[in-house]
Amino acid sequence: MRYVLNRVLQSVVVLFGVTVVVFLIVQLVPGDPIRIGMGTRFDPEVYEALRRASGLDRPPLEQYLSYVGRALTGDLGVSFRSGQPVSHLIVARLPATVSLAVVGIVIALLVSFPLGILSAVRNGSVLDSVVRAASQLGVSLPNFWLGMLLILLFSSTLGWLPPSGYTPLTEDPVEWLRRVIMPGITVGVVAGSILTRYVRSSVLETLSMDHVRTARSKGLPGRIILLRHVVRNALVPVITVTGTQIAAILGGVIVVEVVFAWPGLGLLVYDAVRARDFPLLQGAVLLIAVVFLIVNLLVDLLYAKVDPRIELGGGDG
Amino acid sequence: MTSARPFRLATAAAVALSLAACSGGGEAVDMGDGAGDASGSSSTQGGTLVAAIAGEPDNLDPHVTTAYFSFQVLENVYDTLVEPDVNLEMQPALAESWETSEDQLTWTFTLRDGVTWHDGSDFTADDVVYSYTRIMEEQLSPSWRFSSVESVTAVDEQTVEIAVSEPSPNLLANIGGYKGVAIVQRANVEAGDINTRPVGTGPFELTDYTPGSSITLTANPNWYGGAPAVDGVEFRFISEPTTAVAALRSGEVHWTDNVPPQQVAALAEDSDVELGQVGSNDYWYLALNQQHEPFDQVEVRQAIAYAIDREGITEATMFGNATVNQTAIPEASSWYTDYSTYDFDPDQAVSLLEQAGVDPADIPMNIMVSSDYPETVQAAQIIASQLGDIGIEAEITTLDFGAWLDEQGQGNFDMLMMGWLGNIDPDDFYYSQHHSEGANNYQGYSNPEVDELLDQGRVETDEAARKAIYDQVSTQIADDASYIYLYNPDVVQAWVPGLEGYEAMPNRAIRFREASLP
Repeated sequence: MRYVLNRVLQSVVVLFGVTVVVFLIVQLVPGDPIRIGMGTRFDPEVYEALRRASGLDRPPLEQYLSYVGRALTGDLGVSFRSGQPVSHLIVARLPATVSLAVVGIVIALLVSFPLGILSAVRNGSVLDSVVRAASQLGVSLPNFWLGMLLILLFSSTLGWLPPSGYTPLTEDPVEWLRRVIMPGITVGVVAGSILTRYVRSSVLETLSMDHVRTARSKGLPGRIILLRHVVRNALVPVITVTGTQIAAILGGVIVVEVVFAWPGLGLLVYDAVRARDFPLLQGAVLLIAVVFLIVNLLVDLLYAKVDPRIELGGGDG
Repeated sequence: MTSARPFRLATAAAVALSLAACSGGGEAVDMGDGAGDASGSSSTQGGTLVAAIAGEPDNLDPHVTTAYFSFQVLENVYDTLVEPDVNLEMQPALAESWETSEDQLTWTFTLRDGVTWHDGSDFTADDVVYSYTRIMEEQLSPSWRFSSVESVTAVDEQTVEIAVSEPSPNLLANIGGYKGVAIVQRANVEAGDINTRPVGTGPFELTDYTPGSSITLTANPNWYGGAPAVDGVEFRFISEPTTAVAALRSGEVHWTDNVPPQQVAALAEDSDVELGQVGSNDYWYLALNQQHEPFDQVEVRQAIAYAIDREGITEATMFGNATVNQTAIPEASSWYTDYSTYDFDPDQAVSLLEQAGVDPADIPMNIMVSSDYPETVQAAQIIASQLGDIGIEAEITTLDFGAWLDEQGQGNFDMLMMGWLGNIDPDDFYYSQHHSEGANNYQGYSNPEVDELLDQGRVETDEAARKAIYDQVSTQIADDASYIYLYNPDVVQAWVPGLEGYEAMPNRAIRFREASLP
């Protein structure tokens, strides 16, 4: 319990740090959003009026404090390009990103566990070499490039799948699947490749451990050994990496969403950056950070569940 | 293991924010809008036209937004009192006719009868007064267009009077040039809905908006110009050009303007795609800072104008999808002035520098361009090498657009490259950039003769006389090399074969009112 409390407290501190960093970076980004919004035609009076209206004429510290104060009550401010509440804009984008991330993670897990285990068990075989080469390729592929290749192949050339757009799952599950499959693969392949390598090395390591040799010498069937003694133990480090990958997917969807015109949080961040919409950008990054922290917290708690030694030693971790 | 977590987090934040450092608000440039004079389409098939545009509108309040993505949608939702036709000449729209008083200081507009808002209420003169007053009093984006307007009054329900402080031959272009000066509905503004659910009088009504994804318009059967041929238009936001073109070729969308210049030649050969290409009135230029030596000497500026090969620049930056020009406005415009003094001639450049007594090696030459406008970066590389051929050692500074604007405003540059978009009336772009009092004369050009001509052009109401004035202005500006004009880019759009009643416009106005689907 003390471990749980400790981790939650840590997360809160990190979250506070995030608000400072996000606010500071936004302040340091070159380019005055109001000036850019006006384009090449400049009128000083209009400029001053817009600046006052946006609150950007106030001192940075004052801007920060009022921002954090309001954020605590769930008010993330108003987008200064669209004039709408940031929280509404973000909430509207969540379902698309969540469905893309979930599909990506499912694909990554479905690919990495069987391949990683198989590759470790048949260490040195042709299959092992193929899996290792393929996962190396998957790790190295930039995801926007993979996305474009998929579009060129399955949309432009074969005409099997729509190249872009999103249909909510609740509206039309078939159409949702047709549209989520390419971005989902794009997100899943990179994460899956990294995970495959972790699963493989973790299983390999466990295979050489004493208790596995003991189990073997007891004459237990290979499948039982694999499931009961190897995979369970190999899982511990893999969980952490999976957690990291879930978090990485959240960052990765920014680019993938732009390529597939997927109306999620990533596209929102991209547009907010292009438009220098600071309140929107701050809100979106803050939310991504919160999700990030929650995922990591859950991973740590799960980790402690799988391996009780962690909770005993917990305190610094 | 756990101690590494904050770093992972910081990485994600850095990824999100590093985008901020390298990309900019390039779209947020004031663009004019449209023309369209097509006769009514006979098609009655209806259907929803799906158009892929390169980004999401930031705000649908026409008086507030400056983003082209917004105007692509708003062009079809709103009306203005007058509007440009295909030749960018002003034609009746919500105003049926107009006349000016003897002293040219009062304009009286007679409004079209029976026009209704999308919510069914009547459009009246009060709406015009409200819209213009809103722009002027709240100093909204287009307020500079009303600088000569003293008052706007409703004489009766169908008559509006605009009083100006001096004769204003460009008033029509100012109040009708693009949808930023649209007539908006007071109730819609006061309800706070205009930025997401604008209510207009135009050919289409905005009926659905899915943030991040699309905006759907439904045909307005009561539009003054007649019901559109299609049942509606769906604008989808697809920022990646490869995706947009794939969507067009697979039939997911019917129309897109998100066409990369390097693909234009290939698409022209593609039987699945019809390409619309027309010269635009946008112009791209170089400006030398005349407040810095030796650019205060006209010979030095002229030498640089001679040293630049416009054809080479256009080929490399626009893949040839542009027309070189030595003045601002292209041949298709009624304001065009024939001028070809500075044909590429490095020898002439060298001798002009000798004449000025300037050693090319001593010329400080930092070319300031913006990463938000990639064409400026590519052009700068070519220009630098061309200047190198006459002995000028050029450096290139690439800035984010915000920083670029700051530096320009403070006069911290030797030479800059930029574009000026949505040009209709010469008073607008020549006065602002070349009058010694002009708001955008960052290069510090001052020629009393040009000032006088610009002052005359602003108030000259005789069209032929006005044209003669601007012929003189553009020639003098080019002779003095206040700007070194480079080219007018093409408007390039692509649509499915069989889409009828749509035409690419020189001011990039997207009008689907007459379009019909195959």
